[in-house]
Amino acid sequence: MTRDRLRIIFAVGIIAAFVGLIGITYICSSPDPADSERYLARAVEETGASNRVAGIYLNYRLLDTLLEVLVFSVAVLGVRHYLQQSEGMKLPNLSESEVVQTAVNFLAPLALLLCTFFAVFGHISPGGGFAAGVIAASGLLYVAIAHGIQAMNAQLNPVRLALMEKVILLVLLAFVLAPAVAGRIPLTELLPTGTPGKLLSGGSILVYNILIAMKVFVGAWAVIAAFAQHRGEL
Amino acid sequence: MIARWILLALLPIVAGIALTQTRRLSAIIGMGLFSLLLAAVYLLMHAPDVAITEATIGAALVTAIYVLAIRRTGRLAVVADEAPGLIAREGDSIVGLEYEILEGFARQIGLDLSVHFVPLRRVRWLVAHHEADLGAGGMVPLDSGEGALASTPMHLETGVFAFPAKRRSFNVEPIQEAPDYEGYFSELLEHDKNGTLSTAVSSLDLARVLSLGRIGASLQDLGRIDGQYGYAFLIAKQRTRLQRDYADYLTQLRASGQLADMIERHFS
Amino acid sequence: MAAIIAFVLFGIGVVALVLRRDLVIKLLALGLINAASILFLVSIGDRPGARAPIQLPGDLGIVADPLPQALVLSAIVVNFAILALALVFVMILVERYHTTDSIRIEQEMAREADDQETPCL
Repeated sequence: MTRDRLRIIFAVGIIAAFVGLIGITYICSSPDPADSERYLARAVEETGASNRVAGIYLNYRLLDTLLEVLVFSVAVLGVRHYLQQSEGMKLPNLSESEVVQTAVNFLAPLALLLCTFFAVFGHISPGGGFAAGVIAASGLLYVAIAHGIQAMNAQLNPVRLALMEKVILLVLLAFVLAPAVAGRIPLTELLPTGTPGKLLSGGSILVYNILIAMKVFVGAWAVIAAFAQHRGEL
Repeated sequence: MIARWILLALLPIVAGIALTQTRRLSAIIGMGLFSLLLAAVYLLMHAPDVAITEATIGAALVTAIYVLAIRRTGRLAVVADEAPGLIAREGDSIVGLEYEILEGFARQIGLDLSVHFVPLRRVRWLVAHHEADLGAGGMVPLDSGEGALASTPMHLETGVFAFPAKRRSFNVEPIQEAPDYEGYFSELLEHDKNGTLSTAVSSLDLARVLSLGRIGASLQDLGRIDGQYGYAFLIAKQRTRLQRDYADYLTQLRASGQLADMIERHFS
Repeated sequence: MAAIIAFVLFGIGVVALVLRRDLVIKLLALGLINAASILFLVSIGDRPGARAPIQLPGDLGIVADPLPQALVLSAIVVNFAILALALVFVMILVERYHTTDSIRIEQEMAREADDQETPCL
């Protein structure tokens, strides 16, 4: 049996397993609407956040989200570690034309503004910390493309960014471990649960959104910078 | 409703087209387009958070990272098939006459050298489509001036061989390109074991013939084609500046006698 | 309907992962598999006549299910980070074997394993 045929059989097997798994799950236990109904009915009053999605992943399932941030950090750490290059490699400082630079000078602050908006208003309108961090990192990427990676590193010291990343990670881990150390702490009510729709509502969702936005921003930027400076063979 | 169905139906089409591209850059851009369509679908499914996140990550960051990974600025991209003595892997590193020439050339024009081994017929395709800068690996350019490929000045003389069973006589049927076979050079040994060597190979060059002979392949039907042939590199016709730089470099090597030294080191 | 498309996309991803030889295309196919799984999860939460799960003041309509969306949000970002890590490994592999052809890399690895097994006499 040729190799390609074996591979096709393997692929079909995986697809069948996936479909079969989902089908069996559906048939044996149709999704229980009670959970979703509970969230839908009471999410806004209990969490104080208009954005029910933010209310779920930053209040009911807060620990899930914080540990996902940990997984993200580990992946970023891995990328940075494996893309280390020996010193003394002269990197070309490529910058783009005037047209691109002018456009970027307009777009990049817009991207940072969007990041701040999504992070701060994450509990009232769609967005959230993750999207905010990613948007900020891509804004920085535009600047790096237009003005060259050397100029970027001169503006944003990579050592300080790494330090900031570690500090934020430690703060988030402290949030995760605090109840184990000091008993029940209302992690979700560091800020008042005001009336939904106002800025100061939703408890500490605001705090977490901002922290996650900063963390994802620094992490995504570390990944992009590592790729931009790597001179390899692929 | 209808918009959602149209977009949903478009998704597998775009994904299918993107993943069957030959060029890597086309596949990456196709997947970026797919991410954008997917974000629109999420929006139509009343999931704005997911839509925003998918749009920024899939369309902007993932595409940017892949493009940064496969970019070729600052690099001299060479594709080659293995040709023992000229350019071949040995353990972790690459050795050979052509590799030394290319290393010196890359150093002279200030670029990094990157060599990729690909199947033989892909070498011509990749250079013609500007996916790689140079094609190496014991290429013997024959006299067809048309097409998208040009060749650099020769650096070593060689001969061209073919199996007569495929040709009516040596000098009548022209050989289009040399060497010519499907796949990698190392697969020719498999062909020899199966006894299909004469049908798998259209033409071979001297270095490969010698290497096959050393390993013990059966070459008794192989015959030499008359004519003057030499090894050169393949380069796209429009890259006039690169051709000029390389021609200068090669004349410099020849004049200083370094070329003769290298040939002696690798082939004596 | 969206669930079926998600299965189809999953199928395309797996077939491309298995059949294409280029390592970078394999990674893109993995990303496609991720996207298909996430599409499936989000499509579960959509109900007919629904709106986005953001509560506007004074509005009490049917709202799309926020639970799958919340679960999937951080998954997208983490998938991106892990895909970046996978791309780094692919780059290291390519630098070592000087080719992006997965079959060729397998042959080289087999050859190296053979070489290492010959005992030094």
